[in-house]
Amino acid sequence: MSYKVVVIGDVDTATGFALAGVSYTYVHVDKDGTLAKLTEFIASEEIGLVLVTHPIAEELGAEFRRMMRTKKLLPVVLRIPDKTGYIPKVDELYELIKRTVGAEIVVRAEEG
Amino acid sequence: MNVDRVLKFELSRLNVHLPERRISLKEALESAKPQVAARDGSIHTFKQEELDLLAKIVPEVDWGRLQLPILIALDPKLGRGAARITGETEVRAIGQILGKKGKGEELLIYRPEVAIVRGKLPTTTQYFFVPG
Amino acid sequence: MAAVAAAVAPTRMELLRLKQRVSLAQRGHDLLREKMDALVIEFFEVLRSIGKARAGALKQLSLAHQAMSVCSAVMGTIETRQASREAKRELEVEISTRHVMGIVVPTLEVERVERDALARGYSLHTTSSTLDEASKEFEKALGLLVKLAELEESARAIARELERTKRRVNALEYILIPRLKAALKFIEMRLDEMERENFSRLKRIKAMLEAGA
Repeated sequence: MSYKVVVIGDVDTATGFALAGVSYTYVHVDKDGTLAKLTEFIASEEIGLVLVTHPIAEELGAEFRRMMRTKKLLPVVLRIPDKTGYIPKVDELYELIKRTVGAEIVVRAEEG
Repeated sequence: MNVDRVLKFELSRLNVHLPERRISLKEALESAKPQVAARDGSIHTFKQEELDLLAKIVPEVDWGRLQLPILIALDPKLGRGAARITGETEVRAIGQILGKKGKGEELLIYRPEVAIVRGKLPTTTQYFFVPG
Repeated sequence: MAAVAAAVAPTRMELLRLKQRVSLAQRGHDLLREKMDALVIEFFEVLRSIGKARAGALKQLSLAHQAMSVCSAVMGTIETRQASREAKRELEVEISTRHVMGIVVPTLEVERVERDALARGYSLHTTSSTLDEASKEFEKALGLLVKLAELEESARAIARELERTKRRVNALEYILIPRLKAALKFIEMRLDEMERENFSRLKRIKAMLEAGA
């Protein structure tokens, strides 16, 4: 099935992906407004992928994390760096690996 | 006992990802949307690049015989880390993937080999838990 | 442990039932452990792909932003943003599902993200080729990000199922099976005891009968 792609980011990110043809871009202004928009996107049956920049996801904090935990299979939500290339120090996936298969495996992976 | 119920539930779920009916490689290659329906009704899609790989390594005469998804049977009786492939065409195909000669109706493969097969054919192979 | 054992009547029927339960639990444990092992294979397979996919996607995204900076410098920031508003926004992603042992995971595919300048929709007269460059780079980035989204979502789903399965395996191995085996032992001991008591009682009766005769 076909779905739409939307982006939540700063104005540069939004401009860039608009040029790439995504259906809708939302420029972040404040926490409440963006949370409302994200809620709308997640509830939409037409949207399959939401791109959110890392700084914004961080600002949205616990509420964002809660939405990620409780949402259905779709839309898929992916966090991406913005223009500055900023990535949070705590890599969620890295933490997930450690929690799931143990720190020992992570050390081995780093060495290997 | 609560754990008993949980156990029964988990065991009944073990093979729920498997399709009611498999389709042949030929059918899959001819279809615009190659997929099968799992027992719970959800759709499992085969990736085109995997079908193309299989088409290359399996002779065309066998395309109608190769059943997808190829089942990787996990049977505790085989011992931890061992898996079994059944079916002449399937055995030959997996043998090709692993670069070894697959002959006969059955092939036993081990964990690192399972990893290779799953890495190359993630949607056209599936695990099958032997209940016994 | 004793509480469970005391609640069970020490009969042969119960012994048989318990033996069956132990056998079922053992088989269930072995099967779930196979599932756990298989999930670990899947997990690491996805992680391997993610490493590569992430590096590629992030590098491309960075290039895309750079290209847009160039474009803004040449055309002006406001004009660039204006052009983006004029661009056609019809991109679609094809989403289906695949199964990995009891979990459903989305598959994402974009059809030909990269368009040519005409297809994009902004006016070619008022824009510069740097805009085409920037658009192209962002289209490329989007293609890579879509693939990455699929991988990250798969990793999370597999990790969740792996944790659940691990907990089941542990519950069986460290709680249920030892409990059942202890109850089994208790009943066997009691049955043996009862049989011995019976035996010595019969001996005494026999002795009494012989003495009285």
